[in-house]
Amino acid sequence: MIGLGPLSFAVPLALAGLLALPALWWLLRAVPPRPRQVRFPPLRVLLGLSSPDHSVERTPPWLLALRLVAVLCLVLGAAHPLWNAGGPLPGTGPIVLVVDDGWAAGADWPSRQRMMAELTGRAEREGRRVVLVSTAPAPGRSDPPPPRLMDASEARDRITQLAPKPWETRRDAAVEALRGFPGLAAAPPAAIYWLSDGLGQAEGRSVGALAQTLRPLGSIEVRVPEPSASATIVRPPEVAGDTLHVIVQQASPVAAEPIIHAIGEDGRIVGHALARPITGERTAQAALTLPAELRNRLARIELASSDRTAGSVVLLDHRWQRRPVGIAAPRAVGGEVPLLSEIHYLERALEGEREVRRGEVADLLGRELAALVLTDESPVDGDVRQRIERWVTEGGILVRFAGPRLAAAGGRDDALLPVPLRPGDRVLGGALAWREPAKFAPFPTWSPFVGLELPADVEVYRQVLAEPGMNGQAQTWAELDDGTPLVTARGQGDGWLVLFHVSAGPDGSSLPLSGLFMQMLERIVGLGRGVSEVRTDAPPLAPIRVLDGFGNLGPAPSTARPIPAEVFGQNVAGPLHPPGLYGSEGHVRALNLSETLPHPEPIGPMPGGISVAGYGPTPEIDFRPWLLGLALALVLIDLAASLALRGLLPRGMIARPRRIAGAMVAAALTLATVPAWAQQVVADGSAMPQTLVTSLAYLRTGNAELDAVSRVGLRGLSLVVNRRTAVELADPVGVDPATDELAFFPLVYWPAGPTAPMPSEAAMRNLRAYMAGGGTVVIDTGAAGGGAGQGLDLRQLAQALDLPPLVPVYEDHVLGRAYYLLARFPGRFADGTVWVERTGEHVHDGVSRIIAGSNDWASAWALDDELRPLFPVIPGGERQRELAYRFGINLVMYVLTGSYKSDQVHLPAIMERLRR
Amino acid sequence: MTSGLFHRAEAVGAQLPPLLVAAERVAATVSQGVHGRRRVGPGETFWQYRRYQPGDSTQRIDWRLSARSRHVFLRQTEWEAAQSVWLWRDASSSMDYRSRTSWPTKGDRADLLLLALASLLARGGEHIALLGDDRGPAPGRTALKRMAASLERGSVSDESLPRPAPLPRFATLVIIGDLLAPLEDLAATVAAFARQGVSGHILQVLDPAEETLPFAGRVRFLGTEGEGEALIGRVENVRPAYVAAMAAHRAGVARIARAAGWSFAQHHTARPAEAALLALYLALSIPR
Repeated sequence: MIGLGPLSFAVPLALAGLLALPALWWLLRAVPPRPRQVRFPPLRVLLGLSSPDHSVERTPPWLLALRLVAVLCLVLGAAHPLWNAGGPLPGTGPIVLVVDDGWAAGADWPSRQRMMAELTGRAEREGRRVVLVSTAPAPGRSDPPPPRLMDASEARDRITQLAPKPWETRRDAAVEALRGFPGLAAAPPAAIYWLSDGLGQAEGRSVGALAQTLRPLGSIEVRVPEPSASATIVRPPEVAGDTLHVIVQQASPVAAEPIIHAIGEDGRIVGHALARPITGERTAQAALTLPAELRNRLARIELASSDRTAGSVVLLDHRWQRRPVGIAAPRAVGGEVPLLSEIHYLERALEGEREVRRGEVADLLGRELAALVLTDESPVDGDVRQRIERWVTEGGILVRFAGPRLAAAGGRDDALLPVPLRPGDRVLGGALAWREPAKFAPFPTWSPFVGLELPADVEVYRQVLAEPGMNGQAQTWAELDDGTPLVTARGQGDGWLVLFHVSAGPDGSSLPLSGLFMQMLERIVGLGRGVSEVRTDAPPLAPIRVLDGFGNLGPAPSTARPIPAEVFGQNVAGPLHPPGLYGSEGHVRALNLSETLPHPEPIGPMPGGISVAGYGPTPEIDFRPWLLGLALALVLIDLAASLALRGLLPRGMIARPRRIAGAMVAAALTLATVPAWAQQVVADGSAMPQTLVTSLAYLRTGNAELDAVSRVGLRGLSLVVNRRTAVELADPVGVDPATDELAFFPLVYWPAGPTAPMPSEAAMRNLRAYMAGGGTVVIDTGAAGGGAGQGLDLRQLAQALDLPPLVPVYEDHVLGRAYYLLARFPGRFADGTVWVERTGEHVHDGVSRIIAGSNDWASAWALDDELRPLFPVIPGGERQRELAYRFGINLVMYVLTGSYKSDQVHLPAIMERLRR
Repeated sequence: MTSGLFHRAEAVGAQLPPLLVAAERVAATVSQGVHGRRRVGPGETFWQYRRYQPGDSTQRIDWRLSARSRHVFLRQTEWEAAQSVWLWRDASSSMDYRSRTSWPTKGDRADLLLLALASLLARGGEHIALLGDDRGPAPGRTALKRMAASLERGSVSDESLPRPAPLPRFATLVIIGDLLAPLEDLAATVAAFARQGVSGHILQVLDPAEETLPFAGRVRFLGTEGEGEALIGRVENVRPAYVAAMAAHRAGVARIARAAGWSFAQHHTARPAEAALLALYLALSIPR
């Protein structure tokens, strides 16, 4: 191998072929191309002509140059030129590749594999053998595999099979094995390359110290990844209320704020949050706020990045979901009257997906419990009282209801009450009272009930009052319109004491009869931490699914062993027990690697004599295939040119070279412009494709996230419409109302959500023209998760758009009949009103020019590339999503067919007449 | 194949009326044919009844007429005589040439013209024969078909000029070919036939490229009949000289024909065959 700067030749001998070039030059000049041969009957006449011109023909210079370049390419290609080949490897012995293939290697594995392949290729060119040492233990073993001397070709196979392991490396053991490896001790000095994962380890096991011990074997170079490409640890989340706090740690300061995704059981992303750097900048924290119903579906929390490792995925088991609630109920003595018993109402409010237990307090506390509900009637004795106190301090939630009994006992210093109570209760309304029954005041902002809708008919007749001058620890979570507290709470330790100042039965208020009661209890229980029981006498937990080195769940390999129940969670993730899900169906525990990983440290400086390099982009470029290909192409061109010179090509190809060249240029241009068409740009004059297909349009708001949701939403709807109806819609198109022509679209979806800006005056003018021309604008003020009343003010929009008065969609409106018979029009949210123009005026075929709602339809329609829904619907259920699609189909049918289906409105009457 | 050429030739000839060769010398050389000669003689067509005279053959008595009258009548036919036409076309390899695939080769065009002419002659009742073929002149479509088959087989001489052969006096000879042979050979051939009293017609069939030499650059020309080859560095330089030489050659052919009292015409394969056929038709039917 010889080199010229970064260029080197692997087979320099072949360059001797360049000496042949001058000879070729002379030869080609001396031998002209063969003349064209023609059969010609009147040859005798030609022969009789005097002195035919016999001037010597020479090879044309351009053909000569072409042939010389072709031969030059051939010779250079045979010499195998390489760019950045890096010169010869140091030493003369084997090449040793020490690869950190622990969990942290998953972050940038391809670059490591590329580096290994490159080094192996160089070893192969120099005819040297390779020792491949991986520092992570093999599955099912505690030590790294022993080093072995192999050929470069075998090493290449092994490298392609090598994958990062979802556990920590054991560099010390690997280096120890390498030092004792006889294949190296006897050989001449080796070239050792340590492809590290960039993480430091404890003293004595750091890369620098270990590499130092390898010095006698040969030269050492350590490759360190860029700080941005090093691994990230995502710790199991901490629960605080309805927020999950996730700690993210990196070895180097957190540069870009990592995004944390919360993934549901079905693989959908149910939430995401940015992790913001906190202490020391190597740690960041993300706060994931999720509604309780979504949190119960969580399956994993992971780093939203392609550089996922086993350490950046947290699997969640039932600890994060199950919240068993205990209702303390005295043993039933006689027949219980269901509708008068507090316990009946509590059970009805709490039951559902949640596990609700009922029994004596002592029995309930014997098992794990998230929340305990004490009714007015439940006696709390001294011994039990202390257990409850301890349990609350550890994170339990105690919910009490104050009835006559508590009121009678009030005033006593009860440690299990958030506030001291005044004895006796207060009666509102009734025959002997002055006052009307009291209503709820809006919830205070700090209350967990914020956002719940207050029904108008909830009234409170009988209430237990708190002692005035409440102590500062207690909070009022709900109060009546006269300012008296109705729900008070106090944090104690990790848990909460919550008191309802009414009883759980219907005698004190109508609250237990309303849906609000259920929602309030839901929120309270959601505050608590989840529980998970593992009894130590349980059978060993067998692996169900385990993570691989890239953080993907897969089937458990045979090397993964069951974990005894008593040691589960005690730092066991490793080669014997890879992180993953263990247990049996219905009782699954998650084993997370990141639970026990130490804080990642940077690799630190290397001792002298050890060179350090990155995985930087210095891959070698092999010119051989390019040169040989070019030589082949030139030879083909030469062949064609020679044929043309001798007149052996068909007449037409010579006579019309321009036409042929023109056709080729046109073909090339056509190929080049196809992607441009695919982008479907509507601005300026390039709207041609839109005139050929029908597609839905959405307003580009400039908010990338909102636009993406609109696009995937309409794409999902188009897909469903194409499947179910005869309409054939192309992909949706984003339009800028200020500049684009809208006339091609039957429908323009306007996500006027909370983050959407108000359009410009030019845009409004364009939209007015569009509607006047028969277009329909669908305004969704709930887009992108806003919900009702969060988006742009519809009234303001109506004025700007010069809209007629809008009315809610009335019964028998065509929108509810165009394809499916629908009574409601849910999107991601179910209960928003849908407004339309008052039709009946015979303009635009009775189609409303505007349809406005706040149900965030696009999110409900949105499908990802695998046709899975992207956003959960609220309150939920496939039925709601189906109804959302049906509304979408009706919408498309309505704007496309107009009042065609309005006849259906009269169908019942027609049927009735027919029956007569 | 045979029928293909045959049908094409028939189609070309169908646009002209049957060709009656002007036979000025009808005496002994002319065998019986369909030419009515307006006098009593051997023939097929009824001419007149004549009273029986002693010495007449009893076999020629028309018994039907004789039975209706008191006299015995003879039935006399019109004397019919046919001209015999000998046709020849050049079948040498120099005729297998065309400069563009859209044009026919000279040989194809010569075959077509010859057969079309033969078809016209046959419809006129003339006796036709292929010169060089060992069959004698014969009338009718049978002869025509035999001639077509013979052309397709290529069973005729492969020479550039007809070989002098004894022909009956006053026969007509039609020569179709490129006539690129040396002029002295042609003159000798024509003289040999003319000496026998044969009248003739010469049609020269050429490819347009042979007239204009439309090549350029360095070209090696190969002869078709073993004349050798010629390498010409710049063809465009010799073009004027070549065109002049070709014109001189053509003038020489015309002079030889005129000297023998024969007609001469020229035909290019790029032009329709009908034009050449019409010229031949006129030349053959005009009495001299």
